Amino acid sequence: MDPKVNGQLQEDWNWLVAIYLFLGGVGAGAYTIAAINSFIGEGAELSTAVGLWIGFPALLIGSLCLVADLGSPTRAVLAGMKPKTSWIARGFWIISAFMILAFGHLVLYLTDGPAQGVVAVAGIVFAVGTMAYTGILLGASKGIPFWRSGVVPVVFVVSALVTGHFTIMLGVALFTDGVAMMSSLRTMALEAAVLVVLEVLAILFFLQEAFKLPDPRESAERILRKPSFIVGYFLLGLAAPFGLMLVLYRSMEQAGAGSIMAVASIGAVLGLAGGLILRQAVLVCGALPTLNMGGFEFRRIARPKEPKAGIGLLPPQ
Amino acid sequence: MATTAQPRIEEDTWIPTCCGQCYCMCGIKVRRQNGVITEIAGNPDAPSGRGSICVKGLASPHLLYDPYRVNYPMKRTNPEKGLGVDPKWERISWDEALETIVERLEECRARDPRGAYFQATTTQASEIRFGVIGFMKGFKTPNYWVSGGGLHCGNGAHFMNGIMHVSWSIIPDFAHCNYALNFGCSKGHGAGHVAVQNATQAADARFRGGKTVTFDPFLSAQAAKAHEWVPIKVGTDGAMALGMVNSLLNEHGIYDAEYLMYKTNGPYLIRPSDGRYQRDKETDKPLVWDLVDNCPKVHSDPSVTRVQYEDQAHEVALTGTYTVDGVACRPSFELLKEHVKKYTPEYVEEVTGVPAATVSRISKEFGEAAEIGSTVTIETSEGPKKIPSRPVATHFFRGTQGHVNSGWTCLSVDMVNHMVGAADTWGGAFGLGAAVGSGYEKTGKPYQIPYACPDGLLVAKTWVYDHVPYPMRVPKAPTRLDLHDMFPTSIYNAFTITNPRWFEMLDRFKIDYKPDVMINFGSNSVMTMGNAEQVTENFLKKFNFIFSFQLFVTEFEEAVADIVLPDTCFLERYTPAVSFPSTFSHPQGEDDWGWSIRQPVVEPLYERRDFNEVMLDISKRLGILGDYYKGLNDSIGIRYGGEMDEKYKLVEDGSVEHSWEDVCDRMLKDRFGEEHGLEHVRQKGVFTWPKKKEDVYWKWFNAARVPIYFEYFIDSGEQISKLWDEFGGQDFFDIDWSRFKALADWYPCPSHCETNPDYDMFAFYWRAVMHCNSMTQQNPYLDECGQEDPYVYAVQIHKDTATEKGIADGDNVWLENPEGHRVKGWVALTDGIEPHHLAVAAVAGHWGNYMPVAKGKGTFFNDLVEMDLPHTDPLTFNQDICCRVKIYKRNGQDEQ
Amino acid sequence: MPRYGMCIDLKRCYGCYACVMACKVKNHTPPGVFWSRVLKGERGTFPSTTRQALPVLCMQCDEPSCLEVCPTGATVKLDNGIVIVEKDKCMGCKYCMMACPYGARYTVEKWESYFPEGLPLSPYEEFAKKAWEEKSGVGVATKCDFCRDRLENGGQPACVEACSANARTFGDLDDPDSEISILIKKYRGEVLNPEIGNKPKVYYLAPR
Repeated sequence: MDPKVNGQLQEDWNWLVAIYLFLGGVGAGAYTIAAINSFIGEGAELSTAVGLWIGFPALLIGSLCLVADLGSPTRAVLAGMKPKTSWIARGFWIISAFMILAFGHLVLYLTDGPAQGVVAVAGIVFAVGTMAYTGILLGASKGIPFWRSGVVPVVFVVSALVTGHFTIMLGVALFTDGVAMMSSLRTMALEAAVLVVLEVLAILFFLQEAFKLPDPRESAERILRKPSFIVGYFLLGLAAPFGLMLVLYRSMEQAGAGSIMAVASIGAVLGLAGGLILRQAVLVCGALPTLNMGGFEFRRIARPKEPKAGIGLLPPQ
Repeated sequence: MATTAQPRIEEDTWIPTCCGQCYCMCGIKVRRQNGVITEIAGNPDAPSGRGSICVKGLASPHLLYDPYRVNYPMKRTNPEKGLGVDPKWERISWDEALETIVERLEECRARDPRGAYFQATTTQASEIRFGVIGFMKGFKTPNYWVSGGGLHCGNGAHFMNGIMHVSWSIIPDFAHCNYALNFGCSKGHGAGHVAVQNATQAADARFRGGKTVTFDPFLSAQAAKAHEWVPIKVGTDGAMALGMVNSLLNEHGIYDAEYLMYKTNGPYLIRPSDGRYQRDKETDKPLVWDLVDNCPKVHSDPSVTRVQYEDQAHEVALTGTYTVDGVACRPSFELLKEHVKKYTPEYVEEVTGVPAATVSRISKEFGEAAEIGSTVTIETSEGPKKIPSRPVATHFFRGTQGHVNSGWTCLSVDMVNHMVGAADTWGGAFGLGAAVGSGYEKTGKPYQIPYACPDGLLVAKTWVYDHVPYPMRVPKAPTRLDLHDMFPTSIYNAFTITNPRWFEMLDRFKIDYKPDVMINFGSNSVMTMGNAEQVTENFLKKFNFIFSFQLFVTEFEEAVADIVLPDTCFLERYTPAVSFPSTFSHPQGEDDWGWSIRQPVVEPLYERRDFNEVMLDISKRLGILGDYYKGLNDSIGIRYGGEMDEKYKLVEDGSVEHSWEDVCDRMLKDRFGEEHGLEHVRQKGVFTWPKKKEDVYWKWFNAARVPIYFEYFIDSGEQISKLWDEFGGQDFFDIDWSRFKALADWYPCPSHCETNPDYDMFAFYWRAVMHCNSMTQQNPYLDECGQEDPYVYAVQIHKDTATEKGIADGDNVWLENPEGHRVKGWVALTDGIEPHHLAVAAVAGHWGNYMPVAKGKGTFFNDLVEMDLPHTDPLTFNQDICCRVKIYKRNGQDEQ
Repeated sequence: MPRYGMCIDLKRCYGCYACVMACKVKNHTPPGVFWSRVLKGERGTFPSTTRQALPVLCMQCDEPSCLEVCPTGATVKLDNGIVIVEKDKCMGCKYCMMACPYGARYTVEKWESYFPEGLPLSPYEEFAKKAWEEKSGVGVATKCDFCRDRLENGGQPACVEACSANARTFGDLDDPDSEISILIKKYRGEVLNPEIGNKPKVYYLAPR
């Protein structure tokens, strides 16, 4: 049936939830990279510093976006009541733990405190948990077949690492300078290009899986017709940063600091925007399952709507 | 602690009354909590409903409290009238409103009282029968019509069903019918024809395994639920039905000889010279040929009549040639049998698009399912009796009969039932509403047992109009502004009054008065008749003064009303008789009789006043109360099954002033005894008594026959054409009086004759279940519900047709008829419509500023309905409501 | 304790929307909220086309995915099998709406009138608003509860009472002699999309 008549789309989770999922990924991804780098030490100081700075605030803002999306935000404290079955409740605890660890790690890092390694290991565990959670949240939604694929968490984890990585790059490009920046960025450009390739593979895998069943297939077709997904995400959010990263990597020797910073920043910002667009597109292309009975397929209709009633004229009162 | 709080009035009560969202008026219960209507449900005590209620009735709280309701009298201050004119309303007092109205009516009376013209809505059918009729009799004007109703759905169907079943319509005896043939109609599938009960019965029939076949150009609710949907070209049902008659009689040889011999005029001998009955010289009665005594006998001779099935009688001839008084005569059945031979399956295929083999097969299936010869025994008030079981039925309604072939199509479709004896007996086609009954046992009212005329044919005992459908009125020189007196077959017509030469025509017909004051009760005739501009310019603007009882300011009031009076809705008023006369308001079948009433569930809000109370008030001011009461007394006699007893009659000399409640109370006491007045009936909202089985399956308990040969049409046609010529009527309308004839035929519609290939689509309208007439579109619950359906606000088009035309799902389009009228809409693509058809749900596309919920939704199909003679059935003056159109895409510039 | 369920005979149902409206006027649901809803389906190519209505409502699943995903414990399955939302515990995350494969849950961000904005509320709408806020509320998940209040008073759900086609049968699935159990057994009642695995308690009898 013509997708124009498809009224099955979920309309309740949109940008705010997308930002929540996005920032959760960014924060956890950046932290993960930073924490891993903190073990490498030599040559990774810059990215470690930037990554640690990002983890906690990103999660905090993301969580606030989720709270803002709640119908009854004052009851947000109840969110962790049922971790036994609910992924939101589990997420509540995972994210809370991660935020404490990320915050603690940052404080320790700044004060040169003890046990940073232990905190980092724990932090990485919960950061990975957070990244995976943003995908599992959708994957566990029985009402939206498009999200039900086990590939969504994979896509979101890879995307979280990509966006986290780009965030660090952006931070390095904007807030540092000198030779250290140049060498960091060169390494990071290559890493970014590799991560982007991984994300492309993940997203293709996700779409390929979606095409196997009718309901996810319809959502997949819808997402592929979505300009924001094709242009915003695929071209500008993946292909363009990939190209820019290659350019950055290969021309680092000859280029000046200003242009390097500019290319790195543009690439990173595009990559970040892509990550957000990806999540929003996946959300709004989610649709209820087609109901089957007696050989019929049943769906809600979303016709071109009739005009909403204007105020018109009231008879004289 | 001292408290000054008043005790809270905690009211929570359910009040039984009747719905008023459409004309079937089912029993409901309304919940009132602290003075506010909060919930509606069905009334289990009411046979019409039995505890269920449809989507429209349930949505009524929004009708009662709609902020756009007219709450105060108001007057037009802009003298200009017409579509799109701002009336510049001004609120006025009731006193000012009534003084102005009475003044204008007095002026009218001084000129000629017949200049007063009552227009009413079918939705409030039960109210019409008091305020409208009383006033017309009191004021002495014959001019009245229900706009739309009658023209779109009544002239053909009610008239013909009145002749054949003394009923408003027909319906299968779903409880026992095994093979129902729907000619498009949605009875039992949402139609406002005892909607709830019929839906229950039809669903039970499906559950039981009863088979349904539906002829319909599109996949309607009834077609979707049928075992077989047979797509058919719009307006050709008559050809299909006659094809079935032919197939039954001449191909398969299936017919119920017993039924035809004793319950129809099939054996009546017809003389060849003029097609009239060969009559007995002595008694002047039609003759039949007794096959046992081998001689002619009058039809009512006991030796050749069987009232009850178990009566014994001689067989009479249905075929052959018999010489009576030197004239070689043939039974009318044989004439019919020969006449229908031209409706071969091949011809039917050509006309209807239904394959010849299907015509033949369905006829055979139908004939076999009739189980001719089978009987059942029922328990009557006189003990067990054997009656024929004929578990098959055809039925039809508005869509089938809304064409220039209306009258004959109605008769043709029903004729199929009569060929197999499946009429008003077990399993067959019943009259709807249940119109045969001997009344409540203690009073014998309402008495509605039909009887036989001297010619032996069925005559209704009660009817909704002053004149029963048979015997027909004799055409008379006209006094009504629509020449109605000349046209014995019609209830109203539109082609006269909407003609640009209307006044010229009145002069020619020596009608020496003009339209003067129009009283409108609830109708929105600008939208419900046909092309809005023709109606407004040619008809409505001819009135000097129009006042209107209304719930909303509709397109009608905006265009032409001078004063609008705030009417009460059905939840704020009394009505003493709702389910009687049983038009669409009383279930057929074995359930009890139920006389339902309306009672106010809340006091009228704001300054709303009930129509019937105000009409009494106006009549009092005009000094016509006595005649008003007399009009009601007379009307109750014919419409409600029996004259009023002297004790309860309204006092006709005007010496007593009856309040509306008193009128209601008297009527109920008269029908059901002193103890069963308004106070009593209010408690349950309905008065019930058991229905006798012989009232349900009345055919073989009644001596009357029905015609299959319409001999008296010939007389009628001769009378009317003679009168017509005397006035030179043909200068105005060249009417084809040849349709007044004895045997049924199918005639093509203008849509079938259109030759311009640009107009390649047949457009027609259907009724969506959540809407009735035009008012429900303003109800936001119902509007939202309509938007839940894929097609209610759309123009349905076959997807291949759309593709050919480059039209995509959801595209905005124009539909334009050959006369150049066009309406806008948007399309929904489907496989559920015959590829040359477009289906539009009626009556949508409001543009009025005072009904914002309704405004702009759907398509205003009626604007495509032409009201001229070529689109009028010359037999019944029913309008043709199908048309040929071209469909094309609409872009931004030509929105208006 | 009964285990309540419903059986909807699609052969009887002709898609009249009375159940939709009965629910609206009984539960006073605001615009866009259809605890009881009718979907329309079409299949086949002309002329072998047919259409069918599918009334849907909360399936009161035995293994409700909405309950599983609810983070706060606001969604509760009662002993009689009815799944309800305790509105004071719901934080309005709408995760249950994503988890319900039948689209049975609705959240309104703010109560809206059925009439254009800017008009004073009618007495009915004032009542409806108050009733909605007391029973369900804004910013929280809402759903059909089989008209629990009516059941307590010996009644039936509003949609069942209104159905003129008698397509709906309500009763105890655990009682093998109940009308509903007999119907489901005799006519092989099916649930919607059983592959999802929620074990719905609303059964359907095939359209033909």
